[in-house]
Amino acid sequence: MNAPTLRPGETMPVRRHGPVTRGDIVRFAGAGGDFNPLHYDDDAARAAGFDGVIAMGQYQAGLLAAAVSDWVGAENVASFRVRFARPVRVGDVVVLRGSVVSVERGLATIHLEAVVGESAVLTGSATVHTAAD
Amino acid sequence: MSHDAPAVGMLLDEVVLDIEPGKIREFARATGALDPAHTAAESARGLAAPLATLTHSVAVGHLRDQQKFVEALGLDIRRVVVGEVAWHYARPLLAGDRLRASRRVIADEERDGSSGAMRLVTLETELVDESGAIAATVREVLIERRGGK
Repeated sequence: MNAPTLRPGETMPVRRHGPVTRGDIVRFAGAGGDFNPLHYDDDAARAAGFDGVIAMGQYQAGLLAAAVSDWVGAENVASFRVRFARPVRVGDVVVLRGSVVSVERGLATIHLEAVVGESAVLTGSATVHTAAD
Repeated sequence: MSHDAPAVGMLLDEVVLDIEPGKIREFARATGALDPAHTAAESARGLAAPLATLTHSVAVGHLRDQQKFVEALGLDIRRVVVGEVAWHYARPLLAGDRLRASRRVIADEERDGSSGAMRLVTLETELVDESGAIAATVREVLIERRGGK
């Protein structure tokens, strides 16, 4: 799509995924090639101190990336970064939010987060090429 | 430092990533990306081929030898988490792109955090296309908690 017109304060359409299933995590493993047993084997996950399998961080990063790119078009994204705060477990409902914090020299900065309940599982940002007003 | 740290700048691994339309579809479905540009042969937006999702480069996981790179870095995988990842795009990645993914160590630091000593290893992967241009870079920070020895 043509570069979007973005203004400070504008918000990304909120998106919800879940409850996350083991199948969702395995599907992402197939796409990305991360076959660490933490992500499919409850015993392995418990041995590592979790209640059961957890998603790979790249799963929730991918969900957040998709929410951004469906909004502004992946071809307009200059950068995308995420910081992993805590794991996503089977049964979690992941809510994805974002808002434009600044626009300078044709580049909008969007603050992003993925939350489960009240807790951030992921924080991040994207920079996006914008159209002139 | 107790580990045999590889020199900063050292090439850690190198693989060739072919961006395939089927793999783009797998990522789109797995992450809920609904934009038809990921599946259309040619989109109305002037893209000549299906558009890769933003984190498509994760697919190098199929090609890399994870055991070997952990050993090369002298990391204890049981204590390692990925702290952050950042992608920079020089251009959109499209089906048909053949990208050489070269991963290097760009920083290796010890730090005292609130939960004890940590080793932070920053890796950078350059995705270089067949014309020799950098199409994208991916930077990841690995955190190894030191804990007790």
